[in-house]
Amino acid sequence: MSSELRQIVAVCLIGIGSLRERFATALVVVIGMACVVGVLTSMLSVTAGLARAYFRPEDATRAMVWGGRATFDQMRSLRPDAIGTILDAPGIARGRGGAPLADAEFLMWILPVEGFAAGSLQVRGVGPAGIELRPAFKIVAGRMLHTGMRELVVGVGAARKFGLTVGSEVRLRDGSWPIVGVFSCGADIIESYLVGDAVTVMAARRRAGFAQVIVQLVDAKAYPAFAAWLTGNPALSSVYVERKTDYDRRELGMNTVFFTRMAYVIGTIMALGALFGVVKIMYATVRARTREIGTLRAIGFGATPVVVSVLAEAALLGAMGALVGATIAWLIFDGREMWVWGAFQLRVAPSLWALGLTWALVTSLLGGLLPALRAGRLPPVAALRVE
Amino acid sequence: MKFLPLVWASLWRNKAESAFTLLALCIGFMLFGTMIAVNAAYEQAIDDARMDRLIVACAFDCGAIPLGYRDQLARIPHVTAVGAVGWIGEHQQDAQHPITVTFVDEGIRSAWPELPMTPADWRALDATPAGIFLTRKAAARRNVRVGDTVTMYSGPQGTLDGTGIYYFTVLGFIPDPPGWRSAGGGPSEIIIGNLRYAQNWGRPDERDLVNILRLAVDSPENARGVCRQIEAWYTNASPALYCVPARADAQELAEANINMRQISLGIGAAGLFMILFLCANGIAESVRERLSEFGILKAMGYRDGHIATLVILEAVIPTLLAALLGSVLARGVDALVAHLALTGIIEMPEMRASLAALVWALAAALLIALVSAVAPLYRLRHTDVAAVVAGR
Repeated sequence: MSSELRQIVAVCLIGIGSLRERFATALVVVIGMACVVGVLTSMLSVTAGLARAYFRPEDATRAMVWGGRATFDQMRSLRPDAIGTILDAPGIARGRGGAPLADAEFLMWILPVEGFAAGSLQVRGVGPAGIELRPAFKIVAGRMLHTGMRELVVGVGAARKFGLTVGSEVRLRDGSWPIVGVFSCGADIIESYLVGDAVTVMAARRRAGFAQVIVQLVDAKAYPAFAAWLTGNPALSSVYVERKTDYDRRELGMNTVFFTRMAYVIGTIMALGALFGVVKIMYATVRARTREIGTLRAIGFGATPVVVSVLAEAALLGAMGALVGATIAWLIFDGREMWVWGAFQLRVAPSLWALGLTWALVTSLLGGLLPALRAGRLPPVAALRVE
Repeated sequence: MKFLPLVWASLWRNKAESAFTLLALCIGFMLFGTMIAVNAAYEQAIDDARMDRLIVACAFDCGAIPLGYRDQLARIPHVTAVGAVGWIGEHQQDAQHPITVTFVDEGIRSAWPELPMTPADWRALDATPAGIFLTRKAAARRNVRVGDTVTMYSGPQGTLDGTGIYYFTVLGFIPDPPGWRSAGGGPSEIIIGNLRYAQNWGRPDERDLVNILRLAVDSPENARGVCRQIEAWYTNASPALYCVPARADAQELAEANINMRQISLGIGAAGLFMILFLCANGIAESVRERLSEFGILKAMGYRDGHIATLVILEAVIPTLLAALLGSVLARGVDALVAHLALTGIIEMPEMRASLAALVWALAAALLIALVSAVAPLYRLRHTDVAAVVAGR
């Protein structure tokens, strides 16, 4: 180990060792940074939770086919007579019995349940392959609906939000439909909906048309040929094809773009406030350690170890604050259920811990820079004279 | 007043540290002010939505209701006015320039009088069916002036002649209507057109169809009853109707989104918590370093009350100053937040400057200053004057 490195380690240890005497001052940095990271990670846990609800591992090999430019789940632009042609496209994986692993579906608002948000409850009409396309789908209470019957199953998210259970009824256009089962689907967004047989629900609403066909491709490479075949097919007057991951990104973006930007704006503002706080505290620290620094310089320690020790102290306090903030956010929010046009669980993901730590380290290092430079420039003799 | 020179001198004892403390406090109050404004905006949006205004839409996923319902609904007891609203949303030059025009009929004048159009505006709209009024933000975004022509492409077969192009003449500009900024239009902007033009020039198969009907009732107490009556009468109609008072709709919209009201208060509190410790540490440090000075003051005859006043003023002056500056700076952040809200479906009500936000900030500043001064004052009160003056 070089002499300078040894000096750096020694001065850092001295500085950190004396933190106990400056406990209250150090606590200000830790609490400040904990607030910054706590707020940032808490807000971004919404985005992380929604991302988990939308992005499924299998989506990388899936595609969506829409009618024309209508690319929302509530649209009805895909005519039923076009579905057969779409299922003939090359590259579609085969399910049980050799049938194409693809499903024509739609999402439909229904009347609000008394006392809850208007229109928040939606029915997803799915076809025979709809369940096969969702390997995590599992009935947790009651039974699965029977195809062709006027009955629905409800996702666990919607069941909790709207107080629905087996035996509850919801009103569709042709009367009340019973809920015969409750399902879970690995925290997928579909848990926020009621699920019914697409053709039966379509008959009840007296309006034909699907929103999209969800297609399982044999592999991701099959997508270009699949998309080209559909868009160039004269039998399909107007279809739009996209990868499922692009759809997920679009949906997630619409729901979270404002909130995510807000999180970063607020995180930046708070970090700026914390930065000024760190500058103030580290100046006070340098002032409190003036004699100590003067002594170290007088016995041969260089300016660099002193500068590094101040920066290291700032970084250490910032990191401690980040860990405290992220831990508090994790304890309060991780796994907590929230509803933003659908149920999902907040998630203080490992990437958010890393982001919080980076955020705090950058802030505290920037905040420690000016005081560190001042500490490095302290003339030893003058420093030793300080009372 | 006699304490001020002493307080001022002590505040600037360590100039750099004081300046950075003040900056940190300003940032904390700036965040607090913005969060108060966000919270107030959501509250105001709900308050602006009136209980005696009803919104009637298609109940079961049909998207449009016949214009003929307008006259039927007008005959329901307690209904004082009915107006029709239809939206056509597509783009101008390309898909990157979306535009949504809210077409209204004459009945909207009475059914939705909160729409900020003057009688002269209504006369102009009636005289020029292809005319439009833009909110100031919508106009600024498109850089249009009165008399300009705005075209909207509504897709193939979107118009009577099959071209899908609507030609609008800009008649004037209106303020943003109260409530949610997307109410009746695309996010952040409203463009009002004449329903007659949409009916005559739009797709023939969509003639006599509108998106919603707006109703006014004679009193807020009758709103729920009228809604129940409409839903009951139209249960078996095709399409069936769904009715909700505008205020209930605003509340439901706020609840269906991310709850910004709760979140803003949490963030504001976190910001204040952050600066509370900084402020308390600053005062404690100041008192600790000046114990001998306080000892001398006591020896000179300053009573405990005077010393307490000095310490409290030392805490109050920078926090109040920071609260004032932070509140001013918060207006800039408000504009940034409003700008961010232009995208996405999280709808954000209009944020307005309010005296209440400043009062909250000043009250918070006072509270922080007082709490910060408690521990140092306790320490001073139990200080042995003789020992301090003797340097022990």
